[in-house]
Amino acid sequence: MPQYAMVIDLQRCVGCGACSIACRNENNVPDGIYWSDKMTETVGTFPDVRFHYIPTLCNHCENAPCVRGCPTGAMYKLDNGITMHDPDKCIGCKYCEFNCPYGVIYFNWQTPHPFWRETTPLIEGCTLAASEVTKKAGGNTLPYANPDREETLPGIRPKGVVEKCTFCDHRVKKNLLPYCVEACPANARIFGDISDPKSKVSKLLGKFRPFRLKEHLGTNPRVYYIRGYNPAQYEASKGDV
Amino acid sequence: MNEKKTGYGIWMGGLGICLMGGLYTTIKLFQEGHTLFHANDVIVWSLPLSIYIFLALSSSGLAMLSALPTLFGIQRLEASSKRLVFLAMATLCGGFLAISLELGNMGKMLYFILSPNLASPIWWMGAIYTAELIFLGIKFQCLHKGQETSFSSKIAGTLSFICALLAPMILGTVFGMTEARAIYFGPMLSIFYLTMALYSGTALFILYTMVCRTLESDQPASNAPPIDAVFHRLFTYSAAAVVIITLLKTAVEWSTVVPEFVTLRSFSHPFTPLFGVPMEVVVGLFLPLILLMIRPIQKSTNGVLITALLAWIGSLAIHTRLLIAGQSYPVGPKAEHYPEVLAYLPSAWEWMVALFAISLMLLLYTLGERYLKLGSCRVDKL
Repeated sequence: MPQYAMVIDLQRCVGCGACSIACRNENNVPDGIYWSDKMTETVGTFPDVRFHYIPTLCNHCENAPCVRGCPTGAMYKLDNGITMHDPDKCIGCKYCEFNCPYGVIYFNWQTPHPFWRETTPLIEGCTLAASEVTKKAGGNTLPYANPDREETLPGIRPKGVVEKCTFCDHRVKKNLLPYCVEACPANARIFGDISDPKSKVSKLLGKFRPFRLKEHLGTNPRVYYIRGYNPAQYEASKGDV
Repeated sequence: MNEKKTGYGIWMGGLGICLMGGLYTTIKLFQEGHTLFHANDVIVWSLPLSIYIFLALSSSGLAMLSALPTLFGIQRLEASSKRLVFLAMATLCGGFLAISLELGNMGKMLYFILSPNLASPIWWMGAIYTAELIFLGIKFQCLHKGQETSFSSKIAGTLSFICALLAPMILGTVFGMTEARAIYFGPMLSIFYLTMALYSGTALFILYTMVCRTLESDQPASNAPPIDAVFHRLFTYSAAAVVIITLLKTAVEWSTVVPEFVTLRSFSHPFTPLFGVPMEVVVGLFLPLILLMIRPIQKSTNGVLITALLAWIGSLAIHTRLLIAGQSYPVGPKAEHYPEVLAYLPSAWEWMVALFAISLMLLLYTLGERYLKLGSCRVDKL
């Protein structure tokens, strides 16, 4: 059984956010919820400043605190290492969200996509209501809903349950790459079988010194980061006292 | 007599209004979801959960006290045993109501049994508290039938006492085992919750007993006899234990440089701190301990009543602050969408859930006193 992992090359990543947008489209992610996100940091004082950008997603930890803590087994591991969530078993206790050290699990506080459920036209007698647009487009709640998502998970998760990245398990099942990987214009995301030494991810992890987020917690994340973009130069010296 | 009946009617009417308000809140929660709460993806658990912690721990404390006559053989407390068991059950029912309204999808609770995860502290917490309620129920039935020396009464009494000890500690592990939140102090929280259970449970029982005596007595309240010395001593010891743990926790919080604790120092307290110590700890913990040390105060009914009231209400404030402070900073990418430190004030709906849970508890107390012959105190005899 392959063991899936992702390598994010920070030298190639330009922080365009295409991964996040692709993820939203592929997984019908509601507003206020981010399966694919980023952490940014600005350090230094002008003109010596630097902007750090780290894309984030569920780390699909080997020792996942969310899986260990879920009282009903709604959060579980697939044999291929992907951490999945079953909304049908979820009681909405939010312990996984509370317990996740990476802040990548979100709760549906209300019925998702409320805008597209509106039944009142924006301009009476002139425009359609948002729900009518969806109906005409033949969508499910959203006019642009992706039906493929429903293959392994409810296409749109109900209110009162959590949701998070699944490494696009429905695509991986069909030997397709996760959609954030597919959509990255800079090929900064590399996905594959970490148990295969010949896979691209294994080779990259051997070639560069990778790091993972909060490694000291022992969660063994399956998302690795390599390199870092830095075009800055400085004059060589030994400093001064 | 008419005045007494009117008082009882007003009391039951007030509870009825609160319960109706709670039912309306439940329907709204089903319709609109937990967006009604002032919780979010950073502060995921709010007032309803702290009400649960508060009532569940108080219930465990009461269950521990109920073991004094039945398990530890303090015969002079036998008159209190039935009431203690019933109060523990009623308080736990209030707690269960609060947590059920905190859950986003309680319709799926069946999976708690069908698909248990034995590695989950939440599962163990639910299981142990449910077991505690069942054992207390059996014990109560035995006491009600006058079979306090029967085999099933002894077994149920022993098991309910074990559950009452385990449950607060497992509740502590729910927070203490989180990788994401260092400031819950790991295993220390289990010990803290165990002592808080005894502290708030004893405070609740003393408070309840004093209120009952005041309502029953035709004499002025200050002439009523004081509470049994065992309860008073346990109250003092548990308060002292909680003070020591709190001082130790505070010392660690202020001396460490672990980033989460540094952030905690910038948490804005709901009440003004006194010399760096949160006001609810001063009023709900330090002050009751000082009052417990002053003998003349403890000899007067009003003194005991005020001490117990401060301790019990203070416990709720302490639990709420601890719960919120641990979640007040966003983790990981959530810092992109939220401020560095979040402030929290409960919404009206959250207060309604709190009122609902406490009203249910009080309704059960009232009905128990009226129909189950818990003791000499009868609210309806007003």
